[in-house]
Order: sequence, then C-alpha cells, then structure tokens
Amino acid sequence: MKTLTKDPFNIIIAGVGGQGNVVLSQLIGNALVNEGYLVTIGETYGASQRGGPVMSHMRISKEIVYSPLIEEGTADIILGMEPSETLRMLGRFGNPAVKTIVNPRPIYSVDVAGGEAEYPDFDKLLEAIRGLSAKTWIVNATEEAEKMGSPIVANTILVGALVGSGTIPLDRKSMEPVLEDRFPKALALNLKAFDRGMALINQ
Amino acid sequence: MPGFEIDAPGTSQLLMGNEAIARGALEAGIGFASAYPGTPSSEIMGSLAPVAKKMGFYAEWSVNEAVAIEAAAGASFAGVRAITSMKQNGRSVVADFVSTIVLTGLGKGGMVMVVCDDPQAHSSGNEDDTRTMAKWFDIPMLEPGNYQEAKDMTKYLFDLSEQLDSICLLRSVTRVSHSRGNVKLGELPRRKYKAYFEEAHDTRNPKQSKFVQNPPPPLHAAQHRRLVKAQAIFESSPFNWYRGPEKADLLIITAGSGWLHTQEVVKKLKLENRVGILKLGTLWPMPEKLVRQHLNKSSKILFVEEVDPFIERNVMELVASSPDIPRPTFYGKRSGHLNEYGELTPDIIIKAITGILGIPYQGRDADYAKKAEELAKNLVPKRSLALCPGCPHRATLWAVKTALKMDGRNGVTTGDAGCYSMGTGATGFFQVREGHCMGASCGIATGLGRLGQYDFNQPVVALCGDSSFFHANIPAFINGIWNKSNYTLLILDNNATSMTGFQPHPGTGMVAMEEATQVIKPEDLCRAVGARVEICDPFDLKQTTDALLGMMADNKGGKVLISRRECQLVKARKEKAKYKMHVDTEKCVGESCGCDRLCTRLFRCPGLTWDKKAGKSKIDTVLCAGCGVCADICPQGAIIKEEA
Amino acid sequence: MAVEAKGSRELFKEVIEAGLCTYCGACSGGCPYLVPYKGKIALLDNCTRDEGQCYGYCPRTFLDMSAISQQVFGVPYGEDELGTVKEVMIARSTGKRIKEKGQYGGTVTALMSLALAEGLIDGAILTRTGKDKAASAYLANSAAEVLQGAGSNYLACPVLETYNRTPKDSHRKLGIVGVPCQVIALSKMKQKPPENRPDIGDVKLVVGLFCTWALSPDGFYKFLKENVDLPKVTRFDIPPPPAKRFDAYIGTERKSFPLEQIRQHTMPTCAYCLDMTAEFADISVGSVEGLEGWNTVIVRTRTGAELMETAKKKKKLEIDKLPAQNLAHLKEASLLKKKRALTEIIKRSGSKNKLLYLGLSPRLVDKFLNGQGGK
Ligand SMILES: Cc1cc2nc3c(=O)[nH]c(=O)nc-3n(C[C@H](O)[C@H](O)[C@H](O)COP(=O)(O)OP(=O)(O)OC[C@H]3O[C@@H](n4cnc5c(N)ncnc54)[C@H](O)[C@@H]3O)c2cc1C
Ligand code: SF4
Repeated sequence: MKTLTKDPFNIIIAGVGGQGNVVLSQLIGNALVNEGYLVTIGETYGASQRGGPVMSHMRISKEIVYSPLIEEGTADIILGMEPSETLRMLGRFGNPAVKTIVNPRPIYSVDVAGGEAEYPDFDKLLEAIRGLSAKTWIVNATEEAEKMGSPIVANTILVGALVGSGTIPLDRKSMEPVLEDRFPKALALNLKAFDRGMALINQ
Repeated sequence: MPGFEIDAPGTSQLLMGNEAIARGALEAGIGFASAYPGTPSSEIMGSLAPVAKKMGFYAEWSVNEAVAIEAAAGASFAGVRAITSMKQNGRSVVADFVSTIVLTGLGKGGMVMVVCDDPQAHSSGNEDDTRTMAKWFDIPMLEPGNYQEAKDMTKYLFDLSEQLDSICLLRSVTRVSHSRGNVKLGELPRRKYKAYFEEAHDTRNPKQSKFVQNPPPPLHAAQHRRLVKAQAIFESSPFNWYRGPEKADLLIITAGSGWLHTQEVVKKLKLENRVGILKLGTLWPMPEKLVRQHLNKSSKILFVEEVDPFIERNVMELVASSPDIPRPTFYGKRSGHLNEYGELTPDIIIKAITGILGIPYQGRDADYAKKAEELAKNLVPKRSLALCPGCPHRATLWAVKTALKMDGRNGVTTGDAGCYSMGTGATGFFQVREGHCMGASCGIATGLGRLGQYDFNQPVVALCGDSSFFHANIPAFINGIWNKSNYTLLILDNNATSMTGFQPHPGTGMVAMEEATQVIKPEDLCRAVGARVEICDPFDLKQTTDALLGMMADNKGGKVLISRRECQLVKARKEKAKYKMHVDTEKCVGESCGCDRLCTRLFRCPGLTWDKKAGKSKIDTVLCAGCGVCADICPQGAIIKEEA
Repeated sequence: MAVEAKGSRELFKEVIEAGLCTYCGACSGGCPYLVPYKGKIALLDNCTRDEGQCYGYCPRTFLDMSAISQQVFGVPYGEDELGTVKEVMIARSTGKRIKEKGQYGGTVTALMSLALAEGLIDGAILTRTGKDKAASAYLANSAAEVLQGAGSNYLACPVLETYNRTPKDSHRKLGIVGVPCQVIALSKMKQKPPENRPDIGDVKLVVGLFCTWALSPDGFYKFLKENVDLPKVTRFDIPPPPAKRFDAYIGTERKSFPLEQIRQHTMPTCAYCLDMTAEFADISVGSVEGLEGWNTVIVRTRTGAELMETAKKKKKLEIDKLPAQNLAHLKEASLLKKKRALTEIIKRSGSKNKLLYLGLSPRLVDKFLNGQGGK
C-alpha cells in the first residue's frame, strides 16, 4: 500500500532511553521522504541514554510540514518498543481508532527496582493495551532478535512489522535502500530481521 | 543515511533542525566554526566538525562559549565567514563579548551566532528566552519556523551580516533543533579564503583600528543605524508572510515552532477563512511597517511564541506609539491564553483559539480519554532518569555520600553542569546540594570556604566534571587558592563531555577535527598553582572515600581530588565488560536486618533488579555493565563478581 | 518493661544524638548504614526497617540486668558490687615479652594466647595501638598476633564492629576482649542471637577489662596530638591508684598529665555506666591498687575458672591472693561507679522510675544509691 489513509498520519514510537528509538524513527522517516512525503519527526532527547521514557512523534503528509508534536488523543499508530511505555502513550495519545504494535519485552525502571514503583502484571498490561486499541499486534521482537543472535536487530524487526502492518505507505522495496544506507556492514542480517518482522505481523 | 553535507542540490532530505543549520552554514561557504557543546545545540558543530577537513574549512570545539565566539570573531576580522553555536546558557556566557562586537562591527567575513533555546528545559537548568538579547544588544535576529528555514536563514544571515557589518543571531528552539523534517538542499560553494587582518598598523597612516570600541557612544549610534537598515530590509523579507482572509475574526502573529503548531491547528479546526496568520521570521528589529499593515486585519490579535511575550510586547509598543492604529484586543501570555513558561503544544493553541472565538471543541472521545488516562495512571510505572549501569559517577557520588556522613559535620557539595548533576536526585543519592551554572561549583565553594570567621565548619566539596573544569572553573579555582578559601575540589574526570555526546575537551588529547593534540591534565594545572592533588579510581570506593575524608580534614591550601574513570558509554564501545556478575541467593538477605535492600533501594544501578517474590536481588544481565562496584557495597558479600 | 523493637532511626535519636553512644561497635559491621568513625557512629543512609539489631544490641538501649544475668550465669542480678563472682585473685604473666608489653601484668594477653594454644578458641578479637597511635580492633590468629594487642591507650574502640565483620559462615571459635559496655552488648547478643551476622554461639571466651571510663578517640586523640610527639610514643599508662595520672612514654622519658586534665576528654556516656568490672564476662581483669605489674582477676564462669586453672597448671600465670583490703577497695570503687552513674541517670531523666536505658529493680536502685561507695 503506497497511499496515506489519512493526512496527516500520526505515528508514535514509544520506548525507553537506550533502546534506539531515534534510529528506528529515522529509518522510517527517510524511506517516507524518498517516497516524496513531507515528514516531521519530533524526538525527546535528554533521556536518550538514561533510562527515561523516550518517544518520537512522526507526522506524514502530502500537504504541509506538520508540527513535531502530536496533539493529544490523535495517534494513528503507536509502535511500542516496550509494553508499559506503549500504555503510557495510549494514555495521552490513544483514541478508539488507534492501532498498536507492541514488543512485549518489559524493561524495568530503577523506580521499580528501588521499590517506589511497581511494574504492572503482564496480562493486565496487555489487556489494557488491547482494550484501548482498535487493533493490537504483539510482535516478540526482542525474543526473535535474540534467536537471530543479535538483540539489537529487534528494532529492524519492528520496522518490518510496521511496514508489514500495511498502515503506512511503505513496502520492502522502499526500505531496502534505507537499510543499506544505515547498515552497510550488516545489511543481510537487517534485511532478514526486516522480513521476520513482516512475517510476524501477518501471522 | 545520507549525510547533511551531500552535494545534491534540489533534492529533499530529512534533516534535523540542527543539521539544517549546519547545512546552511556549508551553503554559505563558512571558513570557521566554533562551539562548546550544549543540548539542544550540540549537533550543529557535531555535524560540521566531522566534515570540516573534507570540505576544507576549520572547525573546533572550544573550551567554552566565550572563547568560541571570540575565536569566530577573529576569523571574521581576517575576512573569513564564521559561525558559532551554543545553547541558551552559553548565550549568557558570551554576553560581554557580544555587547562589544556590536559596537565595532566585523571584518570582511560575515559572522553568525546560533542560539538554541530549550523551552520546557528538557535538557537544561533554565528555559530563558534568547530573543531579548537581540533587543538588549541591538543584534539583527531571525528565527526559523521549519527545517527548510533553519537552513535558508543560516545561509542568508551571512550575507546580511556582511551587508550590515554586524554579527547576526539565529534563534532556534528544541522543537526545531531536535526534530526532523524535509529540507530541499542548495548549492555547496567552494570558497577559497585568503585570511588577512586589514586593520594592521600602517606606519604611513597611523590610526586607531576599527576593532576598538572607542569612543562607545558614537559606535552605539552606528549600531542603531545598522538596525534601521536591517529593519528596512526585513520589511520585505521572504521569511515573513501572511496567510488568511483580508478581514479575519482573529489575527495570529507567530514565529518559530509557534508557527508550526499554529498552521496545523488552524488547518485542523478548518478556520483558514476566519483566522489569519502573520508568520514572522525576522524578529529583531521587528518589521514595523509590515506588522502595521496587518494589524487592521482583525480586532483580535493572538500572539503565539515560545517562552517570553517578545513579539507580543514589541507589537504592543508599536501600537502604543502609533495613535493612528485602532486598538485591538490582545491575547497571548499577558491575557493568560498561553503559558508564560514551559513549551507550546498544539493542544494549548487549540484551547486558546477555540476559547477566543467561542468555538466548541471536542478532543478524543471523553469516555475513552477517561479510561485511557486511568489505565495509564494505574499501571504505567514511573521511569526516572538514572546514571548508566557502570557509570563512574555513581561510584564517586557513593563515596562522597559515605565520606560526608563519616566526617559528620554536615558537609556540603556544590555542583556544576554534567551527567553528575543527576546527583541532585536519587540516582546520585541526592549528593549534589547546589547547582546553578557551569563554573559555579568552584565559585560558590570559594565563598563558602571563606566563612570560617562566622563559625562555618561544614566541609565544602566542589564537584565538577573534567569538561566543566576547563570550561569556567579554572578562574574560580585560582581565586580560591589566591584568597585561601577552604574547600576540596572533586573533579569527576571521565575523559569526555558525556552529557552532550562525548565531545573532546582539552584533557582528551583530541580536537574536533579528529586530530591528536597535547593532553592538558587537570592535575598538572592544579599543581602548577600550588594545590595538593590526589588521583583516585572511583571504583575503589574505599580509596576514594578515604582520600576525600583526608582532604576534608585538612584545613589548609588548595585541595583537589581527581576521581578518574572513563565514561562507561565510551568504554563499552572499545572493550568488553570486566566482570560477570551474579547474586548468590543464599547470601542475599534482601530486606532483612543487615542490608534492607541497599543495592536496589539506594545504590540503584539499573543493572540490579529486585525479585520481589523471592525477596532477593538479581542482576539484569542485559543492562549490567560488569563494573563490579555493587559487589563492594553488598554488606553480605552476596553480589559475586567473576572475571569475564 | 518490655523490650521495644526499634531501628536505626530510634538508635540515632535515643542513643547517638543523645550523647549516650559508647562506641562499642555492636551496631556496626553487620550493617551497611552504621559506620564508626573518629569516635562517632555515622549513619550513612536511610534504613527503613522498624526493627534492627543495631537497636537491640546497643548497651544503651533497654538493658534488663536480671534477664541478662539469668542468661549468662543462670541467676538473677544480685547485690554484689562485683556482680557474679566465682573467685577473685591477682595474677601476672610469666612470659618476659608479655610482661614487657602488657598493660599491668599481661594477664589478658597470656590468657588469650593460652586459649588459642589450648584450642578453646581459634581466633581472638583484640585491640591494638597502631603507628598513628589510634586504637583499632583486629582478629588475632596466633600468639604473635595476640601480643600485638598487649598494652592500651584507653581510647574507646568499636571492637564489636570487627566481631560483626567476621564472615558469618566461617564458624571460627572466637575469644573477645572488651570493656564492660562491649561485654554487655555481647550478652545481649547471647540473649537474642543475631541474624545475618556471625553465630554468637561461636564466641567461646569473653574477657572483660575493668573500666572507669574510656577516652574519646576524637577529642582526646587531638589532645594527645597537640601535646606529645605521637608517632614516637612507645607506651601509654594509667598507673594503678593512687597515682592519678596519665602517662605517655617515649622510651624511658615520661610525660604525665593529671587525670583531672584528661577527664574532660572521656566519653560522656561513661558517666551513665554502672559496670566497672565487666560483670558479664567469663573473666574480668584490671589493675591492682598500689601494686604495679600485677592484675586483679575476677573469675565468673566455669569457662573462666577452667582457663585460669590451666594457666596455673601450665605456668602461664603466676597467681596469688588478693589482699582483703584491696578487695574491699575494689568493691567500694565498683559501688561508687554504680552510685555515681545512677545519680547522673536520675538527674537526666528526672525520676527514679525512669532510668534511661537501665532495667534495674527499685530495690537495687535504692541499694546502690545508698551504698557506701567511696574512697
Ligand atoms: C578504655 C579502658 C579503660 C580502662 N580503665 C580501667 C580502670 O579504670 N581500672 C582498671 O583497673 N583497669 C582499666 N582498664 C584495664 C587495664 O588498662 C588493662 O587493660 C587490664 O588491666 C588488663 O591488663 P593486662 O596487663 O592484662 O593487659 P594486656 O595483657 O596488655 O592486654 C590488654 C588487652 O586490652 C585490650 N585493649 C587494649 N586497648 C583496648 C581498648 N581501647 N578497648 C578495648 N580493649 C582494649 C587488648 O585487646 C588487650 O588484649 C581499662 C582498659 C581500657 C581499654
Ligand atoms: S556490576 Fe553492579 S554496579 Fe556495575 S553495572 Fe553491574 S549491576 Fe551495576
């Protein structure tokens, strides 16, 4: 599918500092720009290395350059690199039509280890995410990446899943040059991971 | 990914605002770039430095912002186009120099200073607004409203700077600098500079150089004349425009990120036929004629701008001094329709516009909103920022805590800017008791250390990083020694400017253009001024604690403890973890007497987790950096380190 | 009065900040929060436990004298000024080097060496004076190491920290030498065995030192530093009464300070201490009035008696009778300490029914207050 279902199309990529949120959003953003879209990506920095919540706001349009911040309650897709962060974003940006793609591997915060906060019961968490989403895909990206021997490609698996979900105007062909640019030395692995993501979401 | 420097004019690239600014500098054919890192400005130099050699210009990370801007001025004086970039704190550091260069003007090389403000203080200790500086010091200033403008304005400002013979300012904000959007690239000129300082002394015609601010009042008047000229140019600048009906129910005057949000909101609310937007790109001097022309578009005017009511006040000033303009009703920060602090969001602007126009607005479904907010509130755990696993600062701050408590005189620490300033919170055991600006740790400690005559006997420890030591602590440190102030300087030396992305500094032996240079060691500098210096390894908690106790007990002379360990993030790129860690669950006593969960509750390395069900600590093998420090704090010897 | 379960917060408030800490070390070593440094226990961080062994074992939190006596001797706390006594005598070491280095007769050093040799213990927790002349506790594993502990500088030293630090799974048979408050803390441990710390059952021998007061490791150490060439000092001494002086020797050269001058540097908590003769030890050892080079020895338990017997048999100690007049004086001195401490306690608490930390029957309180202690 190569057309936008909505203009602007709003994607939120939610994760934790150190997970590679920024790289993930850039991969998708660059592919979209190559396809001729106007893309804005707003990133939260500062927390990037330090275990705080990190989100990217991506706006895709054919018409104008949109703001780097998405209005509350208007996300079209939330790509969750971590489950509790997915729910955090749903709380602010979710709406009855939002779709979510979730990597279910939890990352505990120091507050959880420290005892001031509690990590939610996993089933309850997924139930909440499902209950707030029009559609939810669970993509075991970290687990699959570990199987492939390289936990870091979890992000590429998620890109594959997002593209495979058919919600954004990209396909494998549009991703190939971008992946090649970004991972010149590990292209084969990343293409494999991308394909794995495409396959996982369509299971 | 394609670099911001690619020679592909006409193509559209996804660039970060700061990359777009750097690109603008390249397209202007700069010959000189200098900066001190600071979020959200660091990527400007961060982009320029690595390509400088290849593109044939000079780039440097300077020791601080004041030096950076002065170095850039040197280039301008010799005819070389120069750019210097900084965050809003750096802008305050350069203020003195700026106040004088506006009087003398420049050499033949145009000079642009870029300041990236941080509304909402995402990565700062303040969120103040740079624009006032333009007014204060009479500097022509532009602010980009998107990524394309970030590039185009930077390029343009060099021409303007040369045309006016004045330093020019580009103000950006986090949401522009640190977001990405489409930028259509322009040509990359290949400029060959021949640097020459034309104001050299001429025996046949001896006269004062142009670059001397003497006498100031006429020079001040000259700068005012430059501003008048700038204003005339700005009246027809393509960076200002109006979109909307001839007669509007509401006129919005906006700039920068405010424009990005406003444009979207007006479109979303389908108010294009009722609401007009005057987008300004040239903010100082304000193009008064242009503004005046648009003021009669509506009797209601809303100002949308980030941080201070800068445009708002300037327009009010204009209206107040123009009796012929009918008085509109003003909305903005003064009226309370927009926030006077923190950043702008589309939501805030929606509320302001719909409120002023009395339009009902329904956001997301109310029941859904309630449910979503509740679930998020009840289930999503707090996620505080933390020093990284294996961070040497955690170990140093643990030793600081131990030493101050053992010393027992309620010792105080003064802080500086850097990762360790997270020591104000739980991740650094709340050990940083004061934090203002760079260089202030030694400065404040100097004052505290002179209060003995008033019965002050709390030991004072000034904390600063290696980069911040060089930045502005050296004069304060020398002052302390000169004036016999009693305190200990603790340099947390991790051999990098980690907070902003590992830029080199004088202690690293590297320069921005990736060439080796002389290493300037803090210990040599401190010893040269007569201080007693000791060096410790923070991972040796006992050594560090004892060294600090010893220094605090010594009431004489300058005392410096250098806690030296490379930043874990830098180290992890080069070498594997030193230890494989695990918890001996037989020995771990968890919450019982003899521990009370010291490691996860207080030490709080993200590499440690608490298995609530088992009542034991656990190593998170993915996050653990294998530094082994927690093994030394465990009172039961339950955390085991094995050579990896 | 029941023993209240409290933690480090209360320990800090009721003992440390109240100036009652004896610096015995019972709270530290087994705890990452409480650390002894320069005469004070520092609280490094916030422990959230409501109940802590730190509070429980502190000799200045509630001390039920009768229960402790019952625990150690199987009899309630009685009227004897010297506590529970099997035998009192005088003794001195027969070893030349011990006699040279020992404080008075070197009895303690001789006994600890013997206990090691006999296998009664396989390690001894002792206190030595370091190069810097500060006191520090250590674990001695051999006769040579025991000898390092001979002599004293009279500074309060957190001996029990070192005990608490011995690996809890080592199960070594330990002997401990300590001043009365330390012996009391050990008795509290016997009463309610510690968790996550060494097994108190492994402590096979407790030798108590007589003690009127201890000197502050902070204030007195500074005083010494200012008044003598500390690194050169070879020996400290408080010769037995009636000398009334503190001596610092550099070789044979002696520098004396009248006890009156020294007294301002004693640990303030010692004013509230009733125990002069380490009443809950196996053996208690002190000086002998008017007789240099000898020790007064009080044997209190079977373990103590057996060890003394062996010492006699193996000629490690020369033993003699304590003259009746000396015994009377010793009792007087001990009673005087009780009387003075009770008076101070009551002065501070404002009532005979509130004795700060002390659990003592009203009958005994009256008895001690009215007793004929004194010189
Ligand atoms: C603080 C203090 C106050 C004392 N007050 C009196 C008193 O008022 N009247 C009296 O008769 N005797 C007092 N003594 C005891 C006396 O000084 C001798 O220690 C005791 O008589 C044993 O003598 P000795 O010849 O057997 O000693 P040694 O054989 O020399 O053995 C001395 C032993 O004392 C231990 N020791 C040394 N310093 C310390 C210390 N700072 N804390 C704990 N243990 C230590 C060593 O481990 C060593 O085993 C006091 C001792 C101390 C430590
Ligand atoms: S060894 Fe301990 S302190 Fe070091 S990174 Fe691992 S968990 Fe953190």
